Amino acid sequence: MAETKRGGETGVRCVITTPESTVLDTRAEFISVPLFDGQRGIGRGHAPFVGRLGVGEVRITGEQGGAAGGLRRTFIEGGFVEVGHDEVTIITQRSIPAEKLDAAAARSDLEKLKAAPSRGDEAITARMRSEEAARALLRAAERKG
Amino acid sequence: MAKARALDRRRKSVKNIRKITRTMELIATARFKKAMDRSVASRDYTLRLAKILENIAAASAGGADGSEGGAALGFSHPLLEVRPTKRTAVLVLTGNRGLCGGYNSNIVRQAQAILGQWRSEKVGVHTAVSGKRGISALKFRGVDIDERYLQFEDKPEFEQVAPIGRAYLEAYASGQIDRLDVVYTRFDSIARQAAVTEMLLPLKPPEAPSGAAREAAAAKAAAAGLASDDYDFYPSAQSILEEILPASFMARLFKCFLDSAVSEQVARMVAMKAASENAGGLIKDLSRRYNRARQSQITGEIMEILGGVEALKK
Repeated sequence: MAETKRGGETGVRCVITTPESTVLDTRAEFISVPLFDGQRGIGRGHAPFVGRLGVGEVRITGEQGGAAGGLRRTFIEGGFVEVGHDEVTIITQRSIPAEKLDAAAARSDLEKLKAAPSRGDEAITARMRSEEAARALLRAAERKG
Repeated sequence: MAKARALDRRRKSVKNIRKITRTMELIATARFKKAMDRSVASRDYTLRLAKILENIAAASAGGADGSEGGAALGFSHPLLEVRPTKRTAVLVLTGNRGLCGGYNSNIVRQAQAILGQWRSEKVGVHTAVSGKRGISALKFRGVDIDERYLQFEDKPEFEQVAPIGRAYLEAYASGQIDRLDVVYTRFDSIARQAAVTEMLLPLKPPEAPSGAAREAAAAKAAAAGLASDDYDFYPSAQSILEEILPASFMARLFKCFLDSAVSEQVARMVAMKAASENAGGLIKDLSRRYNRARQSQITGEIMEILGGVEALKK
């Protein structure tokens, strides 16, 4: 079932929505999303699931209308992924296309976070989480260069 | 001549005012279109979140043999918990500018009603107001404002709203507030906007789709040769719920801001259209009075000349 064409359409539909707008709606061969515990690949015919996302990159391979073997990378910060019938919906609060990432700004943000003091269990957990997000952003930004 | 000249001066000033109101109407129209597009674009996010919530609710209902369902669904989350209201928060969304008809005053009236109600019940209220107009109007009416926001114009951004939402979530989780009401102008359609008070916290529990709707969805999936929509949850439904409820609260709060922005532009558009039309009527009336005054002046002068001629004849 997974390999057959349905309604003349191939690949998987991928939608990325943020509270402000739908930033991406495309069809692609393969999509890799950053789940809370690591990257997960989704191809055609994947079983439906809903997953919590971590911080990292969505990699979209073989986008239709794009260059052959092209790879589109988008940085996202948390949210959810819903995999339905050959449709991947990524719901996130923040999404930045890889081209717009700024490694220098990401690095200075991380330094600032590291320098800021935090007291109490909750503050430390929150700080660790934001530091992790800043590191992931920096990693994604550096990969671009 | 004095009266005719005064009328002419007044007509000129009304014409100038009409130019201004007409321009403001056009600006409001353009801003309304942009605000409306943003509001429409943001709907997708809310819809998709609601769909996931529905799936979780359906999965939980399925787990309980689908017989019980209802509001309980075995969910437990601090944001869904209804507590007795000891301390509450009210967020009032008004505009930074005036000249938009009853937009700001309707909100202020609505806000006063809810604040008065909490006062009579002797419940402590944390009041936050967005928009210069609301701040000054409520201050004038003797309301203590704990938090003021002036940064929201016609394009509220999620990045701006998120810190406010997070602060409310934290206050709610730590028990500083037991309830959050937002007073804003809900946008129903271009012809109808209403000042409303909406309770955002505690959240309303998600409802599982009814049995018939689920069967219809399953039948549709089967007809298309697909497996039914039985979702797996990673790491677990409960964990996703814990993340999704704050996200859906944020989305609802953001929607309040977007609705307010759209409604403000509509209100300004309507008010300025009415003002331009009114100025048109006034100009017509003044022109008529000016012409009449001028004519009677001319007639008076002719009469004077004729009188003089008659006197000379004698």
